[in-house]
Amino acid sequence: MQNYVVAVFLLLCLTSVPTSAATQSWRSLTPTEREALAPMVQQWDTLPELQRHRLLETAKRYSQLTPEQKQRYHDRLEKWSKLTPEQREAARKKYLAFNKLPAKEREKVKQMVKEKQARKAQQPASGVSAAPVTNQQ
Amino acid sequence: MTNELDPRKIAQLLTQSTRQLDEATLSALVNARQNALKRQSVRAAVFALTPTSAHTSARWTDRLIPHSAQPWIAAGLLAAILVAGTSYWQHVQEQQIGELDVAILTDDLPIEAFVD
Repeated sequence: MQNYVVAVFLLLCLTSVPTSAATQSWRSLTPTEREALAPMVQQWDTLPELQRHRLLETAKRYSQLTPEQKQRYHDRLEKWSKLTPEQREAARKKYLAFNKLPAKEREKVKQMVKEKQARKAQQPASGVSAAPVTNQQ
Repeated sequence: MTNELDPRKIAQLLTQSTRQLDEATLSALVNARQNALKRQSVRAAVFALTPTSAHTSARWTDRLIPHSAQPWIAAGLLAAILVAGTSYWQHVQEQQIGELDVAILTDDLPIEAFVD
């Protein structure tokens, strides 16, 4: 039995190589991936490996988006990649929580955010960002 | 002739002969039997870990794979299953994160709404 435990441990040590995708340079991307990640061309090769891997995951779904969604995706990609990993993780949690709200509540929040955005557009010098969605659960 | 080969008679003869054996031979036989039983019990414990515990399977595994290599092969299979399971779980996790990120990047609400 001891032999089995030692053998499993040693083999796990040998096989526990990182399972994430190998580092992919901008040049090695497919034309579809380059089109999806076009706003990232300048900083792509400097991004951490995990972030590149996750952006590539999003790029896989780019072809299924509507033209309007593609535009939003491109507009937001750079801002999204500039967030810290913790901020992105928090945003994911908040997004999931927001989508669990009843439809009426979601609409209310969307309306509030749109109003704030409109006010912000009228006062560009104020520097106030849209209010974050609060977790109402 | 057939009477001489009667198994019962043979057994009786063997029993009688055994009684005539001297102490040293008897104790040597007892020792040999105990040693054989010890070896048998170790084998049973090893093969209890294999999927089929039938005695015949022990024989064919012994013939195919050297006894000393069997723990390594079993450990290799276990490690491979663990690594494959972990990789699959990570892959599913990453796919879910990718879907979520696309949803955030294409939602009606701006990113700022979800960022503190």
